[in-house]
Amino acid sequence: MSKDALLQIRDLTKIYKDDNSDKTVLKSLDLDVEKSEFLCILGPSGCGKSTLLRCIAGFEDYSGTVSVDGSIRREPGIDRFMVFQDFNQLFPWKTVINNVAYPLGLNLKASKAEIKERAMEALKKVGLDNCGDQYPHQLSGGMKQRVAIAKALALRSPIILMDEPFAALDAMTRSGLQKEMISISESEKNTIIFITHNIQEALILGTRILVFGQQGHILFDGKNPMQRPVTPASEGYGALWEELHHALYEGSLKRSDTD
Amino acid sequence: MKDKKKKAVSVIARSIYVIALLVIWECVARSGILGPRSSLIFPSLEQIGEAFIKNFVKGYAGTSLWIYIANSMKLLLTGLFIGVVLAFILSGLSMVSYVFFKIYDLTVSVFDLLPGIALLPVVIIIFGVREEVIVFLVVHAVLWPMSRNMLDGFNATPRIYVEAGKNMGLKGAGLIFGVYLPAAASYIVSGLKSGWARAWRGLISAEMIFGIASSPGIGLFINQMRTNMNNAEMYATLLVIIIIGVIVQYGILRPIEINTVRKWGMTK
Repeated sequence: MSKDALLQIRDLTKIYKDDNSDKTVLKSLDLDVEKSEFLCILGPSGCGKSTLLRCIAGFEDYSGTVSVDGSIRREPGIDRFMVFQDFNQLFPWKTVINNVAYPLGLNLKASKAEIKERAMEALKKVGLDNCGDQYPHQLSGGMKQRVAIAKALALRSPIILMDEPFAALDAMTRSGLQKEMISISESEKNTIIFITHNIQEALILGTRILVFGQQGHILFDGKNPMQRPVTPASEGYGALWEELHHALYEGSLKRSDTD
Repeated sequence: MKDKKKKAVSVIARSIYVIALLVIWECVARSGILGPRSSLIFPSLEQIGEAFIKNFVKGYAGTSLWIYIANSMKLLLTGLFIGVVLAFILSGLSMVSYVFFKIYDLTVSVFDLLPGIALLPVVIIIFGVREEVIVFLVVHAVLWPMSRNMLDGFNATPRIYVEAGKNMGLKGAGLIFGVYLPAAASYIVSGLKSGWARAWRGLISAEMIFGIASSPGIGLFINQMRTNMNNAEMYATLLVIIIIGVIVQYGILRPIEINTVRKWGMTK
Protein backbone atom coordinates (compact mmCIF):
# COMPACT_ATOMS: atom_id res chain seq x y z
CA MET A 1 0.00 0.00 0.00
CA SER A 2 1.38 3.34 -1.01
CA LYS A 3 1.37 6.30 1.31
CA ASP A 4 0.56 8.87 -1.34
CA ALA A 5 -2.52 7.28 -2.92
CA LEU A 6 -5.25 9.84 -3.67
CA LEU A 7 -7.93 7.89 -1.84
CA GLN A 8 -7.04 5.83 1.20
CA ILE A 9 -9.52 3.62 2.99
CA ARG A 10 -8.38 2.10 6.27
CA ASP A 11 -10.09 -0.52 8.40
CA LEU A 12 -13.54 0.43 7.15
CA THR A 13 -16.30 -1.51 8.88
CA LYS A 14 -19.97 -0.92 8.26
CA ILE A 15 -22.65 -2.65 10.30
CA TYR A 16 -26.34 -2.20 9.59
CA LYS A 17 -28.10 -2.33 12.91
CA ASP A 18 -31.44 -4.04 12.82
CA ASP A 19 -33.92 -4.53 15.65
CA ASN A 20 -32.78 -8.00 16.50
CA SER A 21 -29.72 -8.68 14.39
CA ASP A 22 -26.67 -6.74 13.24
CA LYS A 23 -25.51 -7.27 9.71
CA THR A 24 -21.87 -6.67 8.92
CA VAL A 25 -21.76 -5.38 5.35
CA LEU A 26 -18.11 -4.38 5.21
CA LYS A 27 -15.42 -5.77 7.46
CA SER A 28 -12.06 -4.07 8.04
CA LEU A 29 -11.63 -3.04 4.44
CA ASP A 30 -8.33 -1.48 3.35
CA LEU A 31 -8.08 0.01 -0.11
CA ASP A 32 -5.89 2.53 -1.91
CA VAL A 33 -6.91 4.17 -5.15
CA GLU A 34 -4.31 6.04 -7.17
CA LYS A 35 -4.85 9.26 -9.05
CA SER A 36 -6.42 8.85 -12.54
CA GLU A 37 -7.15 5.20 -11.86
CA PHE A 38 -10.34 3.79 -13.38
CA LEU A 39 -11.24 1.23 -10.75
CA CYS A 40 -14.04 -1.19 -11.49
CA ILE A 41 -15.51 -3.17 -8.61
CA LEU A 42 -17.33 -6.40 -9.38
CA GLY A 43 -19.16 -8.45 -6.84
CA PRO A 44 -22.29 -10.48 -6.15
CA SER A 45 -25.40 -8.73 -4.84
CA GLY A 46 -25.12 -7.86 -1.18
CA CYS A 47 -21.31 -7.95 -1.09
CA GLY A 48 -21.16 -4.37 0.12
CA LYS A 49 -19.81 -2.69 -3.01
CA SER A 50 -22.57 -0.10 -3.13
CA THR A 51 -22.26 0.45 0.59
CA LEU A 52 -18.54 1.11 0.15
CA LEU A 53 -19.33 3.80 -2.40
CA ARG A 54 -21.91 5.36 -0.07
CA CYS A 55 -19.34 5.35 2.75
CA ILE A 56 -16.77 7.06 0.54
CA ALA A 57 -19.38 9.60 -0.53
CA GLY A 58 -20.14 10.33 3.13
CA PHE A 59 -23.78 9.21 3.10
CA GLU A 60 -23.27 6.52 5.76
CA ASP A 61 -21.84 6.20 9.27
CA TYR A 62 -19.02 3.74 9.62
CA SER A 63 -15.92 2.96 11.64
CA GLY A 64 -12.51 3.35 10.06
CA THR A 65 -11.31 6.18 7.89
CA VAL A 66 -11.65 7.46 4.36
CA SER A 67 -9.10 10.07 3.35
CA VAL A 68 -8.54 12.06 0.22
CA ASP A 69 -5.09 13.57 -0.35
CA GLY A 70 -4.20 12.61 3.20
CA SER A 71 -7.07 14.38 4.98
CA ILE A 72 -9.95 12.48 6.51
CA ARG A 73 -13.45 12.86 4.99
CA ARG A 74 -16.63 12.02 6.88
CA GLU A 75 -19.19 14.34 5.30
CA PRO A 76 -20.34 14.45 1.69
CA GLY A 77 -18.32 16.80 -0.49
CA ILE A 78 -17.72 17.68 -4.11
CA ASP A 79 -14.25 16.11 -4.10
CA ARG A 80 -16.07 12.77 -4.21
CA PHE A 81 -18.98 13.14 -6.58
CA MET A 82 -21.56 10.39 -6.83
CA VAL A 83 -23.33 9.38 -10.03
CA PHE A 84 -26.25 7.19 -9.00
CA GLN A 85 -27.89 4.36 -10.89
CA ASP A 86 -31.29 6.04 -10.54
CA PHE A 87 -32.08 8.25 -13.55
CA ASN A 88 -33.99 10.57 -11.24
CA GLN A 89 -30.90 12.05 -9.65
CA LEU A 90 -31.35 15.33 -11.53
CA PHE A 91 -33.56 18.01 -10.01
CA PRO A 92 -36.73 18.04 -12.14
CA TRP A 93 -37.34 21.70 -11.28
CA LYS A 94 -34.13 22.87 -12.94
CA THR A 95 -33.25 22.91 -16.61
CA VAL A 96 -30.38 20.72 -17.76
CA ILE A 97 -27.89 23.58 -17.81
CA ASN A 98 -29.02 24.74 -14.35
CA ASN A 99 -28.70 21.21 -12.99
CA VAL A 100 -25.05 21.40 -13.96
CA ALA A 101 -24.57 25.05 -13.01
CA TYR A 102 -26.31 24.88 -9.62
CA PRO A 103 -23.64 22.87 -7.75
CA LEU A 104 -21.01 25.13 -9.33
CA GLY A 105 -22.78 28.22 -8.01
CA LEU A 106 -22.86 26.68 -4.54
CA ASN A 107 -19.18 25.85 -4.46
CA LEU A 108 -17.49 28.40 -6.67
CA LYS A 109 -16.94 32.09 -6.23
CA ALA A 110 -17.42 33.09 -9.84
CA SER A 111 -19.72 35.27 -11.90
CA LYS A 112 -22.93 33.85 -13.32
CA ALA A 113 -21.55 34.05 -16.84
CA GLU A 114 -18.41 32.12 -15.89
CA ILE A 115 -20.49 29.44 -14.19
CA LYS A 116 -22.80 29.11 -17.18
CA GLU A 117 -19.82 28.84 -19.47
CA ARG A 118 -18.22 26.13 -17.39
CA ALA A 119 -21.51 24.21 -17.20
CA MET A 120 -21.89 24.48 -20.97
CA GLU A 121 -18.34 23.23 -21.44
CA ALA A 122 -19.15 20.17 -19.33
CA LEU A 123 -22.35 19.52 -21.26
CA LYS A 124 -20.36 19.71 -24.48
CA LYS A 125 -18.04 16.99 -23.19
CA VAL A 126 -21.00 14.63 -22.85
CA GLY A 127 -22.53 15.77 -26.16
CA LEU A 128 -25.57 17.52 -24.70
CA ASP A 129 -24.72 21.17 -25.31
CA ASN A 130 -27.90 21.60 -27.36
CA CYS A 131 -30.19 20.32 -24.59
CA GLY A 132 -29.35 22.93 -21.96
CA ASP A 133 -32.78 24.53 -21.86
CA GLN A 134 -34.71 21.29 -21.59
CA TYR A 135 -36.07 19.89 -18.35
CA PRO A 136 -34.92 16.46 -17.15
CA HIS A 137 -38.31 14.84 -17.78
CA GLN A 138 -37.83 15.58 -21.48
CA LEU A 139 -34.62 13.53 -21.63
CA SER A 140 -34.07 9.82 -22.13
CA GLY A 141 -32.43 7.71 -19.40
CA GLY A 142 -29.07 7.74 -21.12
CA MET A 143 -29.17 11.52 -21.52
CA LYS A 144 -30.00 11.96 -17.85
CA GLN A 145 -26.97 9.89 -16.89
CA ARG A 146 -24.85 12.04 -19.21
CA VAL A 147 -26.05 15.16 -17.43
CA ALA A 148 -25.20 13.58 -14.08
CA ILE A 149 -21.68 12.89 -15.37
CA ALA A 150 -21.48 16.47 -16.67
CA LYS A 151 -22.20 17.70 -13.14
CA ALA A 152 -19.11 15.91 -11.87
CA LEU A 153 -17.02 17.15 -14.81
CA ALA A 154 -18.11 20.76 -14.29
CA LEU A 155 -17.19 20.53 -10.60
CA ARG A 156 -13.85 18.98 -11.61
CA SER A 157 -14.33 16.46 -8.84
CA PRO A 158 -11.06 14.55 -8.45
CA ILE A 159 -12.97 11.39 -7.57
CA ILE A 160 -16.13 10.30 -9.36
CA LEU A 161 -18.13 7.51 -7.73
CA MET A 162 -20.37 5.60 -10.10
CA ASP A 163 -22.85 3.09 -8.72
CA GLU A 164 -23.91 0.92 -11.67
CA PRO A 165 -24.82 4.06 -13.60
CA PHE A 166 -25.47 2.24 -16.87
CA ALA A 167 -27.17 -0.88 -15.50
CA ALA A 168 -30.67 0.25 -16.43
CA LEU A 169 -29.74 1.34 -19.98
CA ASP A 170 -30.17 -0.59 -23.21
CA ALA A 171 -27.04 -2.22 -24.65
CA MET A 172 -26.51 0.34 -27.44
CA THR A 173 -26.76 3.36 -25.18
CA ARG A 174 -24.59 1.65 -22.59
CA SER A 175 -21.87 0.94 -25.11
CA GLY A 176 -21.92 4.59 -26.24
CA LEU A 177 -21.65 5.85 -22.69
CA GLN A 178 -18.81 3.44 -21.94
CA LYS A 179 -16.81 4.90 -24.81
CA GLU A 180 -17.49 8.39 -23.53
CA MET A 181 -16.42 7.47 -20.00
CA ILE A 182 -13.13 6.14 -21.35
CA SER A 183 -12.37 9.27 -23.33
CA ILE A 184 -13.43 11.46 -20.39
CA SER A 185 -11.21 9.60 -17.93
CA GLU A 186 -8.29 9.78 -20.35
CA SER A 187 -8.63 13.50 -21.02
CA GLU A 188 -9.84 14.76 -17.62
CA LYS A 189 -7.73 12.44 -15.46
CA ASN A 190 -10.46 12.02 -12.84
CA THR A 191 -10.16 9.05 -10.56
CA ILE A 192 -13.20 6.90 -11.13
CA ILE A 193 -14.60 4.15 -8.95
CA PHE A 194 -17.15 2.28 -10.97
CA ILE A 195 -19.40 -0.44 -9.62
CA THR A 196 -20.84 -3.02 -11.96
CA HIS A 197 -22.30 -6.50 -12.15
CA ASN A 198 -21.00 -6.94 -15.61
CA ILE A 199 -17.56 -8.55 -16.19
CA GLN A 200 -17.41 -7.26 -19.75
CA GLU A 201 -18.10 -3.71 -18.60
CA ALA A 202 -15.30 -3.95 -16.03
CA LEU A 203 -12.88 -5.23 -18.70
CA ILE A 204 -13.79 -2.46 -21.14
CA LEU A 205 -13.65 0.39 -18.65
CA GLY A 206 -11.29 -0.49 -15.83
CA THR A 207 -7.57 0.13 -15.62
CA ARG A 208 -7.80 -1.86 -12.40
CA ILE A 209 -10.40 -4.41 -11.40
CA LEU A 210 -11.49 -5.62 -7.98
CA VAL A 211 -13.77 -8.52 -7.16
CA PHE A 212 -15.56 -8.38 -3.83
CA GLY A 213 -16.75 -11.38 -1.90
CA GLN A 214 -19.01 -11.16 1.11
CA GLN A 215 -18.43 -8.28 3.56
CA GLY A 216 -16.19 -6.52 1.07
CA HIS A 217 -13.58 -9.25 1.21
CA ILE A 218 -11.28 -8.66 -1.76
CA LEU A 219 -11.06 -11.83 -3.85
CA PHE A 220 -9.26 -10.34 -6.81
CA ASP A 221 -7.26 -7.17 -7.29
CA GLY A 222 -5.33 -6.58 -10.48
CA LYS A 223 -4.44 -4.13 -13.20
CA ASN A 224 -6.14 -4.52 -16.53
CA PRO A 225 -3.23 -5.23 -18.93
CA MET A 226 -5.23 -4.81 -22.11
CA GLN A 227 -4.84 -1.84 -24.43
CA ARG A 228 -7.97 0.25 -25.01
CA PRO A 229 -10.29 -0.12 -26.77
CA VAL A 230 -10.86 -3.51 -25.17
CA THR A 231 -12.93 -5.97 -27.18
CA PRO A 232 -13.47 -9.71 -26.77
CA ALA A 233 -10.75 -10.05 -29.44
CA SER A 234 -8.14 -8.26 -27.29
CA GLU A 235 -5.23 -10.40 -26.25
CA GLY A 236 -5.73 -11.86 -22.80
CA TYR A 237 -9.46 -10.99 -22.68
CA GLY A 238 -10.61 -14.59 -22.40
CA ALA A 239 -8.15 -15.51 -19.69
CA LEU A 240 -8.93 -12.45 -17.56
CA TRP A 241 -12.68 -12.92 -18.07
CA GLU A 242 -12.27 -16.50 -16.90
CA GLU A 243 -10.29 -15.43 -13.87
CA LEU A 244 -12.82 -12.75 -12.86
CA HIS A 245 -15.70 -15.08 -13.46
CA HIS A 246 -14.06 -17.68 -11.28
CA ALA A 247 -13.44 -15.15 -8.50
CA LEU A 248 -17.05 -13.95 -8.68
CA TYR A 249 -18.37 -17.49 -8.68
CA GLU A 250 -16.17 -18.36 -5.72
CA GLY A 251 -17.55 -15.29 -3.92
CA SER A 252 -21.15 -16.28 -4.37
CA LEU A 253 -20.33 -19.91 -3.56
CA LYS A 254 -18.89 -18.88 -0.22
CA ARG A 255 -22.06 -17.01 0.53
CA SER A 256 -24.26 -20.05 0.02
CA ASP A 257 -21.94 -22.02 2.31
CA THR A 258 -22.52 -19.60 5.15
CA ASP A 259 -26.26 -19.25 4.52
CA MET B 1 -54.89 16.08 -33.11
CA LYS B 2 -56.11 13.79 -30.39
CA ASP B 3 -55.61 16.50 -27.79
CA LYS B 4 -57.53 19.01 -29.88
CA LYS B 5 -60.42 16.60 -30.21
CA LYS B 6 -60.41 15.95 -26.49
CA LYS B 7 -60.49 19.67 -25.79
CA ALA B 8 -63.38 20.22 -28.19
CA VAL B 9 -65.35 17.39 -26.59
CA SER B 10 -64.78 18.80 -23.11
CA VAL B 11 -65.84 22.32 -24.16
CA ILE B 12 -68.97 21.09 -25.92
CA ALA B 13 -69.96 18.72 -23.11
CA ARG B 14 -69.53 21.37 -20.47
CA SER B 15 -71.45 23.98 -22.47
CA ILE B 16 -74.39 21.61 -23.04
CA TYR B 17 -74.39 20.76 -19.33
CA VAL B 18 -74.47 24.41 -18.23
CA ILE B 19 -77.09 25.42 -20.81
CA ALA B 20 -79.29 22.46 -19.84
CA LEU B 21 -79.12 23.46 -16.18
CA LEU B 22 -80.07 27.04 -17.02
CA VAL B 23 -82.98 25.88 -19.20
CA ILE B 24 -84.31 23.63 -16.42
CA TRP B 25 -83.96 26.49 -13.96
CA GLU B 26 -85.90 28.86 -16.23
CA CYS B 27 -88.63 26.26 -16.89
CA VAL B 28 -89.13 25.71 -13.17
CA ALA B 29 -89.14 29.47 -12.55
CA ARG B 30 -91.76 30.17 -15.24
CA SER B 31 -94.02 27.18 -14.60
CA GLY B 32 -94.56 28.08 -10.96
CA ILE B 33 -94.37 24.37 -10.19
CA LEU B 34 -93.39 25.01 -6.57
CA GLY B 35 -96.43 27.14 -5.78
CA PRO B 36 -96.32 30.60 -4.22
CA ARG B 37 -92.70 30.21 -3.02
CA SER B 38 -91.56 29.42 -6.53
CA SER B 39 -90.24 32.88 -7.32
CA LEU B 40 -88.30 32.90 -4.03
CA ILE B 41 -86.60 29.58 -4.59
CA PHE B 42 -86.15 29.95 -8.33
CA PRO B 43 -86.20 33.60 -9.39
CA SER B 44 -86.13 33.83 -13.19
CA LEU B 45 -82.80 34.23 -14.93
CA GLU B 46 -83.89 37.67 -16.03
CA GLN B 47 -84.51 38.75 -12.44
CA ILE B 48 -81.14 37.37 -11.37
CA GLY B 49 -79.44 39.15 -14.25
CA GLU B 50 -81.07 42.44 -13.32
CA ALA B 51 -80.19 41.91 -9.67
CA PHE B 52 -76.59 41.17 -10.66
CA ILE B 53 -76.30 44.60 -12.29
CA LYS B 54 -78.27 46.29 -9.54
CA ASN B 55 -75.91 44.86 -6.91
CA PHE B 56 -73.03 46.73 -8.47
CA VAL B 57 -74.85 49.88 -9.52
CA LYS B 58 -77.09 50.54 -6.55
CA GLY B 59 -75.77 48.07 -4.02
CA TYR B 60 -77.26 47.95 -0.54
CA ALA B 61 -77.91 50.99 1.61
CA GLY B 62 -76.14 53.16 -0.94
CA THR B 63 -72.97 51.05 -0.98
CA SER B 64 -72.06 49.17 -4.18
CA LEU B 65 -71.19 45.47 -4.05
CA TRP B 66 -67.74 46.50 -5.29
CA ILE B 67 -67.01 48.03 -1.92
CA TYR B 68 -68.08 44.82 -0.15
CA ILE B 69 -65.91 42.76 -2.49
CA ALA B 70 -62.93 45.05 -1.95
CA ASN B 71 -63.31 44.80 1.83
CA SER B 72 -63.55 41.00 1.70
CA MET B 73 -60.58 40.70 -0.63
CA LYS B 74 -58.42 42.91 1.55
CA LEU B 75 -59.04 40.72 4.60
CA LEU B 76 -58.74 37.55 2.55
CA LEU B 77 -55.40 38.47 1.02
CA THR B 78 -54.01 39.60 4.37
CA GLY B 79 -55.05 36.30 5.93
CA LEU B 80 -53.81 34.22 3.01
CA PHE B 81 -50.44 35.97 3.08
CA ILE B 82 -49.98 35.48 6.83
CA GLY B 83 -51.21 31.87 6.62
CA VAL B 84 -48.94 30.90 3.74
CA VAL B 85 -45.87 32.57 5.25
CA LEU B 86 -46.54 30.91 8.62
CA ALA B 87 -47.02 27.54 6.90
CA PHE B 88 -43.64 27.91 5.17
CA ILE B 89 -41.84 28.95 8.35
CA LEU B 90 -43.39 26.38 10.68
CA SER B 91 -43.20 23.47 8.22
CA GLY B 92 -39.62 24.46 7.38
CA LEU B 93 -38.67 24.45 11.08
CA SER B 94 -40.20 20.99 11.32
CA MET B 95 -37.56 19.77 8.91
CA VAL B 96 -34.78 21.21 11.07
CA SER B 97 -35.88 19.85 14.43
CA TYR B 98 -37.43 16.43 14.98
CA VAL B 99 -38.98 17.50 18.29
CA PHE B 100 -40.54 20.55 16.64
CA PHE B 101 -41.84 18.33 13.83
CA LYS B 102 -43.55 15.97 16.27
CA ILE B 103 -45.18 18.85 18.14
CA TYR B 104 -46.20 20.75 15.02
CA ASP B 105 -47.52 17.58 13.38
CA LEU B 106 -49.81 17.06 16.37
CA THR B 107 -50.89 20.72 16.31
CA VAL B 108 -51.76 20.54 12.63
CA SER B 109 -53.72 17.32 13.07
CA VAL B 110 -55.77 18.82 15.89
CA PHE B 111 -56.47 22.27 14.48
CA ASP B 112 -57.12 21.03 10.96
CA LEU B 113 -60.23 19.35 12.35
CA LEU B 114 -61.62 22.46 14.03
CA PRO B 115 -64.03 24.48 11.89
CA GLY B 116 -63.14 28.16 12.03
CA ILE B 117 -66.74 29.05 12.83
CA ALA B 118 -66.55 26.93 15.98
CA LEU B 119 -63.65 29.09 17.15
CA LEU B 120 -65.55 32.28 16.42
CA PRO B 121 -66.93 32.85 19.95
CA VAL B 122 -63.47 32.63 21.47
CA VAL B 123 -61.86 34.74 18.78
CA ILE B 124 -64.48 37.45 19.20
CA ILE B 125 -63.82 37.53 22.93
CA ILE B 126 -60.11 37.95 22.23
CA PHE B 127 -60.26 40.53 19.43
CA GLY B 128 -63.75 42.01 19.76
CA VAL B 129 -65.95 42.42 16.69
CA ARG B 130 -63.15 43.63 14.45
CA GLU B 131 -61.43 42.90 11.17
CA GLU B 132 -58.77 40.90 12.95
CA VAL B 133 -61.34 38.19 13.66
CA ILE B 134 -61.91 37.59 9.95
CA VAL B 135 -58.17 37.65 9.25
CA PHE B 136 -57.64 35.18 12.06
CA LEU B 137 -60.24 32.82 10.62
CA VAL B 138 -58.69 33.03 7.15
CA VAL B 139 -55.27 32.26 8.63
CA HIS B 140 -56.83 29.34 10.49
CA ALA B 141 -58.44 28.10 7.27
CA VAL B 142 -55.25 28.21 5.21
CA LEU B 143 -52.45 27.45 7.68
CA TRP B 144 -53.33 23.87 8.63
CA PRO B 145 -54.15 22.31 5.25
CA MET B 146 -51.17 24.11 3.75
CA SER B 147 -48.87 22.85 6.53
CA ARG B 148 -50.25 19.32 6.28
CA ASN B 149 -49.47 19.30 2.58
CA MET B 150 -46.01 20.75 3.08
CA LEU B 151 -45.10 18.29 5.82
CA ASP B 152 -46.32 15.40 3.68
CA GLY B 153 -44.39 16.81 0.74
CA PHE B 154 -41.17 17.16 2.73
CA ASN B 155 -41.48 13.64 4.04
CA ALA B 156 -42.15 12.29 0.57
CA THR B 157 -39.01 13.89 -0.87
CA PRO B 158 -37.14 11.09 -2.66
CA ARG B 159 -33.95 10.18 -0.80
CA ILE B 160 -31.95 10.53 -4.00
CA TYR B 161 -32.70 14.28 -4.22
CA VAL B 162 -31.55 14.74 -0.65
CA GLU B 163 -28.37 12.76 -1.26
CA ALA B 164 -27.72 14.56 -4.54
CA GLY B 165 -28.15 17.82 -2.62
CA LYS B 166 -25.77 16.76 0.13
CA ASN B 167 -23.33 15.58 -2.50
CA MET B 168 -23.10 19.08 -3.92
CA GLY B 169 -22.52 20.57 -0.50
CA LEU B 170 -26.01 21.55 0.66
CA LYS B 171 -26.91 21.27 4.32
CA GLY B 172 -29.34 22.75 6.85
CA ALA B 173 -31.30 25.68 5.45
CA GLY B 174 -29.63 25.25 2.06
CA LEU B 175 -31.01 21.73 1.84
CA ILE B 176 -34.51 22.95 2.78
CA PHE B 177 -34.58 25.75 0.21
CA GLY B 178 -32.56 23.94 -2.43
CA VAL B 179 -34.14 20.49 -2.26
CA TYR B 180 -37.06 19.95 0.13
CA LEU B 181 -39.11 22.98 -0.93
CA PRO B 182 -38.91 22.53 -4.71
CA ALA B 183 -39.27 18.75 -4.35
CA ALA B 184 -42.51 19.34 -2.42
CA ALA B 185 -43.80 21.78 -5.06
CA SER B 186 -46.72 19.65 -6.19
CA TYR B 187 -47.80 19.20 -2.57
CA ILE B 188 -47.45 22.92 -1.95
CA VAL B 189 -49.55 23.75 -5.00
CA SER B 190 -52.33 21.40 -3.90
CA GLY B 191 -52.04 22.85 -0.38
CA LEU B 192 -52.52 26.31 -1.86
CA LYS B 193 -55.60 25.14 -3.72
CA SER B 194 -57.32 23.59 -0.74
CA GLY B 195 -56.12 26.39 1.54
CA TRP B 196 -57.55 29.04 -0.76
CA ALA B 197 -60.89 27.23 -1.09
CA ARG B 198 -61.22 26.84 2.66
CA ALA B 199 -60.23 30.43 3.29
CA TRP B 200 -62.76 31.73 0.77
CA ARG B 201 -65.58 29.70 2.31
CA GLY B 202 -64.48 30.48 5.85
CA LEU B 203 -64.38 34.18 5.12
CA ILE B 204 -67.92 34.29 3.75
CA SER B 205 -69.37 32.21 6.58
CA ALA B 206 -67.72 34.42 9.16
CA GLU B 207 -68.99 37.55 7.44
CA MET B 208 -72.49 36.10 7.35
CA ILE B 209 -72.45 35.52 11.08
CA PHE B 210 -71.28 38.95 11.97
CA GLY B 211 -70.69 41.98 9.82
CA ILE B 212 -68.25 44.67 10.70
CA ALA B 213 -69.69 48.11 10.21
CA SER B 214 -66.31 49.61 9.39
CA SER B 215 -65.60 47.15 6.59
CA PRO B 216 -68.64 45.20 5.43
CA GLY B 217 -67.86 42.21 3.18
CA ILE B 218 -69.59 39.95 0.66
CA GLY B 219 -70.90 37.58 3.33
CA LEU B 220 -72.62 40.47 5.06
CA PHE B 221 -74.11 41.57 1.74
CA ILE B 222 -75.61 38.12 1.16
CA ASN B 223 -76.98 38.12 4.65
CA GLN B 224 -78.66 41.51 4.12
CA MET B 225 -80.27 40.20 0.93
CA ARG B 226 -81.42 37.09 2.78
CA THR B 227 -83.02 39.00 5.64
CA ASN B 228 -84.78 41.30 3.19
CA MET B 229 -85.99 38.36 1.08
CA ASN B 230 -84.21 39.80 -1.95
CA ASN B 231 -83.57 36.33 -3.27
CA ALA B 232 -82.69 37.32 -6.82
CA GLU B 233 -79.99 39.62 -5.39
CA MET B 234 -78.84 36.82 -3.11
CA TYR B 235 -78.42 34.43 -6.04
CA ALA B 236 -76.67 37.16 -8.01
CA THR B 237 -74.19 37.54 -5.14
CA LEU B 238 -73.62 33.78 -5.00
CA LEU B 239 -72.79 34.08 -8.68
CA VAL B 240 -70.23 36.76 -7.84
CA ILE B 241 -68.67 34.44 -5.27
CA ILE B 242 -68.41 31.68 -7.85
CA ILE B 243 -66.96 34.04 -10.46
CA ILE B 244 -64.28 35.28 -8.07
CA GLY B 245 -63.50 31.68 -7.14
CA VAL B 246 -63.14 30.70 -10.79
CA ILE B 247 -60.95 33.72 -11.54
CA VAL B 248 -58.59 32.83 -8.70
CA GLN B 249 -58.59 29.15 -9.68
CA TYR B 250 -57.91 29.68 -13.39
CA GLY B 251 -56.30 33.11 -13.32
CA ILE B 252 -53.85 32.62 -10.45
CA LEU B 253 -53.58 29.06 -9.16
CA ARG B 254 -53.65 27.34 -12.55
CA PRO B 255 -50.85 29.49 -14.04
CA ILE B 256 -48.77 28.84 -10.93
CA GLU B 257 -49.28 25.11 -11.45
CA ILE B 258 -48.53 25.24 -15.19
CA ASN B 259 -45.36 27.25 -14.68
CA THR B 260 -43.99 25.01 -11.95
CA VAL B 261 -44.90 21.39 -11.40
CA ARG B 262 -46.36 20.83 -14.88
CA LYS B 263 -43.41 22.40 -16.63
CA TRP B 264 -41.10 20.27 -14.50
CA GLY B 265 -42.98 17.08 -15.34
CA MET B 266 -43.73 16.47 -11.65
CA THR B 267 -47.46 16.13 -12.31
CA LYS B 268 -49.56 15.31 -15.33
